[in-house]
Amino acid sequence: MATAAAPLLKVEGVTLQYKTRESLVTATWKVDFQADRSDRLVLLGPSGCGKSTLLKAVGGYLAPAAGVITLDGARITGPGPDRVMVFQEADQMLPWLTVRQNVAFALTASGSCGKREAEDQAGVYIKKVRLEKFADTYPHTLSGGMKQRVAIARCLAMKPAVVLMDEPFAALDALTRQRMQEELLELWDESRFTMLFVTHSIEEAILLGNRVVLLSPHPGQVREIMEVDLDDPANRFHGRCDELRDTIHRVLFKDTGDYVI
Amino acid sequence: MGNQTAVLPALLHQVPGGESQPELPIGEIVQPLSLFERLWGESALRKLLLVALLVVLWQCYSARVANPLVFPSFSATALALWDSLIHGELPDRVAVSLRVLLSGYLLGILLATLLAAVATGSRLGNDLLEVLTAMFNPLPAIALLPLALLWFGLGSGSITFVLVHAVLWPVALNTHSGFASVSATTRMVGRNYGLTGWRYVVRILIPAAFPAILTGLKNGWAFAWRTLIAAELVFGVSSGSGGIGWYIYENKNQLEIARVFAGLLTVIAIGVAMDSLFRVVERRTVQRWGMSR
Repeated sequence: MATAAAPLLKVEGVTLQYKTRESLVTATWKVDFQADRSDRLVLLGPSGCGKSTLLKAVGGYLAPAAGVITLDGARITGPGPDRVMVFQEADQMLPWLTVRQNVAFALTASGSCGKREAEDQAGVYIKKVRLEKFADTYPHTLSGGMKQRVAIARCLAMKPAVVLMDEPFAALDALTRQRMQEELLELWDESRFTMLFVTHSIEEAILLGNRVVLLSPHPGQVREIMEVDLDDPANRFHGRCDELRDTIHRVLFKDTGDYVI
Repeated sequence: MGNQTAVLPALLHQVPGGESQPELPIGEIVQPLSLFERLWGESALRKLLLVALLVVLWQCYSARVANPLVFPSFSATALALWDSLIHGELPDRVAVSLRVLLSGYLLGILLATLLAAVATGSRLGNDLLEVLTAMFNPLPAIALLPLALLWFGLGSGSITFVLVHAVLWPVALNTHSGFASVSATTRMVGRNYGLTGWRYVVRILIPAAFPAILTGLKNGWAFAWRTLIAAELVFGVSSGSGGIGWYIYENKNQLEIARVFAGLLTVIAIGVAMDSLFRVVERRTVQRWGMSR
């Protein structure tokens, strides 16, 4: 099918609409972006820019009103285990299953492997997120950060083509969030998975992404797509971060003045 | 609990800058309570004490009334119960009652599950469930007994019919509202791993809605049990082999009032036993999973 050079994920002219009780809301308008293999693509924008809705559309939970989303050349028509979501909410863990069973559940439910192998794989990925001591406890006994780690382990165990992250660290305290961001980067460094990450934090976007899609709200439209060049050691001097942050800030708020995120 | 004791010393050692830390006299952290305090802390023990107190009151009051035809003493009731259990027909009666109850209960749950599944699957099904439960849930099952007798005759068929009516609506209502309240995130997780149709219902919806389903099962059980005894008071399941309700009614007619009391105690005992069974299920599932509301 697609050659290695072709982008893995293509979002072309995607307009997303959803119905509320009274009206039809347009969440995004003709959005275009692409993600290559091993990209860490961040969707960044204020609330109302449709970034989570876009992620759900890539997840297959929502069909675009116009435009197409393709993964490896194939059109996305519904949810599937090749695109695994990590949510912000703690109830993404199935409370009736232990940590190990939660990870194994993903593997058996999707038919990726048998029960025995799923348990082994679960063990491997739980170890990767350093939760082996808690493998046999139930999710409600875990802290918020630990729950997110299990969610990440469950997601990576599926070895999806794209990892979809919907503000996974937004509900965590500042220290835990920082730690989780670092660990996520370490995990990425190990297996170089392709990731689509939604956030409203400029700092998080710069830290985690190698490319940032800046979206403006009502309806969500692409303002600009920026390369984050912090992976290059030459750019890792202190001022570069601030420079990027200022640029993003200017782009995001150029006509809204002092709009607060 | 175990974690705290393990963490505490570790924290104490990590106090910064402490080569010459003075030993702080904190005192004893864990002090054993006295035997009395520990016993008083057991709620089961306190309740048992209350039951004993009630029995004593019963015995004293019956001695004052001194009319075993109106109010037999506890000792007379206990004797009658023992006699009926060992030599009499009570075990058979209980067996008859439980058999009918179980068939009605299971049939009711089966129908309720189907109804809830239909209601979850479509908007019209949802409306159907709402209309039916709004109509039939307030209707006491026992009020249908005359009709049931007309349709199914004297026998277990009639009782099963009213039992199904008693179980069906509360279970369907709770199961349905349980399904409806499963969070969007949980649903998306299920669909993310490719679960659809019955696999989705069994692996995601039912466990996620289990707290509500369990409440429905408990309510259904309570309604069924009351309905059963009431229905049996009216007639035996089939001639000669009635249940506990019939046992009570029959003994009242023969003025064996101590046995009437014994029958009532049996009804209470089975009710309490079922209640503790539900509590065990609750502890092993909903509470263990941190899902109790």
